[in-house]
Amino acid sequence: MKKLLAIVLCLALMLPVIALAEGDGRVHITYSFWGDQTEFESVQKVLDEYNQMQDKVFVEPMQIPNEQYTETLVNYAIADQLPDCGMVNENSVLFFARNGVMADVSDMYAGEELQPMDCITFKDDGTPVGYSSCNEILIMYYNKDMFDAAGEPYPSADKPYTWDEFVEVAKRLTFDEAGKHPGEDGFNPEKIVQYGAFVNNWTWQMEVWALSNGGAWFSDDGKQCLINSPEAIESIQKVADLALVEHVAPLNVIPEDNGVGVGIGSKTVAMTTDGTWRLGTDFPNLDINYGIAPLPMMKENVTLCTSGLTGVFKGKHQQEAYDFVKWYTREESNWESLVLTGIWLPKSEYFYKTEEGISKWLGNEKYPYNKDMETGKKVLVEYTMNNAKPACWYYTPNTQITTNEILFTALQSVWSGERTAEDVINEIYPDLCEAILID
Amino acid sequence: MSVYTAEQKHKGPILSKSRREKTVSILCLILLIVLALIVMFPIYWIFRSSLMSNGELYAYPPAFTPPAWRFENYPETLKSFEYLKFLGNTMTILIPAVLGAVVTATMGGYAFARLRFRGKKFLFTLCVGSMLLPSMVTLIPIFFAWSKLGLVNTYWPLILPHFCGGGAFNIFLIRQFVKTVPRELDEAATIDGCGYFRILIFIIVPAIKSAMIVVGLLKFIELWNDLLQQVTYITRRDRYTLALGLNIFRGSFNDDWSSIMCATCLSFIPGIVFYLIGQKYFVEGIVMTGMKN
Amino acid sequence: MTVLTKKHMIRYNRGETRAAWICLLPSVIGLVCITYIPMIASFTLSLFNWNGLGEMKYIGLDNYIRLFTRDTKFYGSLLTTLEYACLSVIGSIIYSMIIAMLLNRKVPARGFFRAVFYLPYVLPVLAVYLGWKWLFDYNHGLFNYLIKLNGGTSVKFLDSSTMVTPSLALIAVWLSGNLIVIFLAGLQNVPRTYHEAAEIDGANAWHRFWKITIPCMTPIIFYNLLMSLVTNLQVITPALSLTQGGPGTGSYFMCYMLYTQAFKSHKYGYGSAIAVILFLIIAVFTGILFATSKGWIFYEGDEKE
Repeated sequence: MKKLLAIVLCLALMLPVIALAEGDGRVHITYSFWGDQTEFESVQKVLDEYNQMQDKVFVEPMQIPNEQYTETLVNYAIADQLPDCGMVNENSVLFFARNGVMADVSDMYAGEELQPMDCITFKDDGTPVGYSSCNEILIMYYNKDMFDAAGEPYPSADKPYTWDEFVEVAKRLTFDEAGKHPGEDGFNPEKIVQYGAFVNNWTWQMEVWALSNGGAWFSDDGKQCLINSPEAIESIQKVADLALVEHVAPLNVIPEDNGVGVGIGSKTVAMTTDGTWRLGTDFPNLDINYGIAPLPMMKENVTLCTSGLTGVFKGKHQQEAYDFVKWYTREESNWESLVLTGIWLPKSEYFYKTEEGISKWLGNEKYPYNKDMETGKKVLVEYTMNNAKPACWYYTPNTQITTNEILFTALQSVWSGERTAEDVINEIYPDLCEAILID
Repeated sequence: MSVYTAEQKHKGPILSKSRREKTVSILCLILLIVLALIVMFPIYWIFRSSLMSNGELYAYPPAFTPPAWRFENYPETLKSFEYLKFLGNTMTILIPAVLGAVVTATMGGYAFARLRFRGKKFLFTLCVGSMLLPSMVTLIPIFFAWSKLGLVNTYWPLILPHFCGGGAFNIFLIRQFVKTVPRELDEAATIDGCGYFRILIFIIVPAIKSAMIVVGLLKFIELWNDLLQQVTYITRRDRYTLALGLNIFRGSFNDDWSSIMCATCLSFIPGIVFYLIGQKYFVEGIVMTGMKN
Repeated sequence: MTVLTKKHMIRYNRGETRAAWICLLPSVIGLVCITYIPMIASFTLSLFNWNGLGEMKYIGLDNYIRLFTRDTKFYGSLLTTLEYACLSVIGSIIYSMIIAMLLNRKVPARGFFRAVFYLPYVLPVLAVYLGWKWLFDYNHGLFNYLIKLNGGTSVKFLDSSTMVTPSLALIAVWLSGNLIVIFLAGLQNVPRTYHEAAEIDGANAWHRFWKITIPCMTPIIFYNLLMSLVTNLQVITPALSLTQGGPGTGSYFMCYMLYTQAFKSHKYGYGSAIAVILFLIIAVFTGILFATSKGWIFYEGDEKE
């Protein structure tokens, strides 16, 4: 009897599914995304706005947990049930594009006033296949109070530290329980109270150091793996040595996507490198007097730009999805919720090259870093324009294998000090080369 | 216990034995308490974390007690964590699945333990063999099949499979327990004219009730935590289960740890309640089984 | 009808057969549709190269050859899985047996203690691992804080490729409340009359434990051993939620390797090959367990076969 009741209950729950079919005459499309509660609410708000401003298309959100995002999309693709459009993880864009799942968007911005920057365009062998929804670069955050306490001048906004200067400053900002700095007699690495620096070793961010040292991970056409060059290997070892040899950084053997949390956010680290989205996602909730600066440079002054993509998938309602995505990815559509909160940097050149454009976001009183516009201009605008290079997934295929799988696992032995970067990179080099050739 | 008192009256040296018994009892109790504290500690740690803010959580050295007992974290979390809805969804899946599993596992275990039929050994080997399969392996082919039937965004793929014996583990467990029931009872009932199903319902089931409840509990916990299947088949937020609901706090940039911990503590509750209720029947079942002998 | 001679054993009672098939029909359907057909599909898939979206390309045994000769992580993964399974199974069985024995005594508040030891098993497993992370963490974790307080050096629990598997096995032991419940049920099933008779004969507690309790418990021990072994060989959750297989191949369990290769790196054929190998390993261990089982298991209500 109970079982019968339960079955009836289940059937009853299924009725809404059947009933929800397009009864209101509109074309229903789904937009998939990942994110937490706050992001869900802001996405819902934007979707509501779109749904109300026209009556031909109704967009439904489909929230998928971040860890399983790409797998879920692939599962849906196998079952022919892909959403009509949605976010795509950076490292899977070329994978989806090459396998014919994504609609052609190469002329989405043809003739438009707001052109997305070239450095955030995904290219499969030179042909654009997608554009990032926004721009993000890697910068350095520092704790002004810790600098004041040590009597150190703040990092300059347009003249980055050299790596050696960076290490020296970090040493002066690192001390143990007895107040001793690394290198002094009696310094105890086991009892460090404050660390000078944390360079985020979350795998994809490590690419910037190879570039900074004059090397690269992959060739510009995405066909060759260059990570075994001495410059690239040295850059990895230098970052690992910050914790292992110089004792200025906390040990972080299994990296997570949480540079600020492990670094400056723990209130025990003076400097941290991470992405610009932290301005909106972390710092408003952390009670820290912070500043921003460009990354330290090894030989070249360079930073990495990246961001996820909002893609249109091939499907029944491709045109409606295309129109929606074009509307959705305008800075205007997400102005309040994402740009002004500091989570997104704008993606169109207009907002970087014209005074008018710059003042619209940097000059807006709601923007988290508007108190110091000079620094903001140098670190967020000029740094992007002059020094930002696209991350490898913009032009190299199969980065979910190379970065997330192979490098992520292999480099952990380097972070823990069990092996040297040279050993590890040379060991995995053949796998990396093979990975970018797989179809 | 009466054996000891009888001995106590007639044999002097036994007095030291009962004192030894008492010391052993006390030692056992102390050991239990210590172990219980150790076992509970990580749970306490989660609870303590739920009463702290994110900034406090990352501070070092870690605080043993929450610096400010932020009970308001709970209403905060409940604002975004639709607890009752997720709980209802979870129950919609679990209750039919658990019932289906218990019923079909009992039938299957009984058949293997008691009935004689052609192909029994072969079928049993097949059954045990299926335990060995990592569930990952069958994920894609099964998902493909469900999607062709159009049932991907529903609860059916999560409920129906458990009506097929509830998994070889449970059939096997029931089988082991049925084997501990002496055959003489069956034979007596057969002489009285009972058929196989009456034997099952009136003799076997009461005898192994504790095992059936254990099967129900195990199935409940297995499904409660079965994140992989839930993630594969449920993507719409309003259909989320409690386990999936925890994921909504893992944002694309950050994990909101203190909310995760709050939501976690809230998720403990149904499991504990279910166990406490089930435990009562469990004890009765065990007592009944003991008395039979 | 109840007494069968050797000749009659060949002829099966039709009513019994029918009853059996009715009982087993749902299970058979499940076995075929949910287990064996997909299993065959996976075996087949392991002979192909497929990324989920593109074409399936037949490559024969290439996946297996690659696994055994060119994959740098395969052997590490194999060893790690075996190490974890051994530690967690042995640890869990001993731990839960001890707790079950303690709980079987007449201690006050027995119900409360039972609830306490079972509790870890009831908790959402993701939360459990996250909670333990805060204990094991190298920089901010509680264990290292206590160690440093006592003048020791921090231990890399989850950050060292040798320590990570034992640390995860410890969590598995902590979680083994389900085994306690089953052992308890088994302990209660041991007839008191045996114990009383032995006491009268002068046997002490230790003797009674080994000669009565353990033999009567052998079916239950077998069940727990088998279930525990099969489950722990398929470990994946700690790797998924906590260590991501690291450091190095420290916790790169085979199921996790399967998952990452198939779902994250889009190599479904390769992942299926790993699944097949894992299946074979589990089959071998199970076969050994069953083959040796007749030697040490004692069934009370069993038929004379």
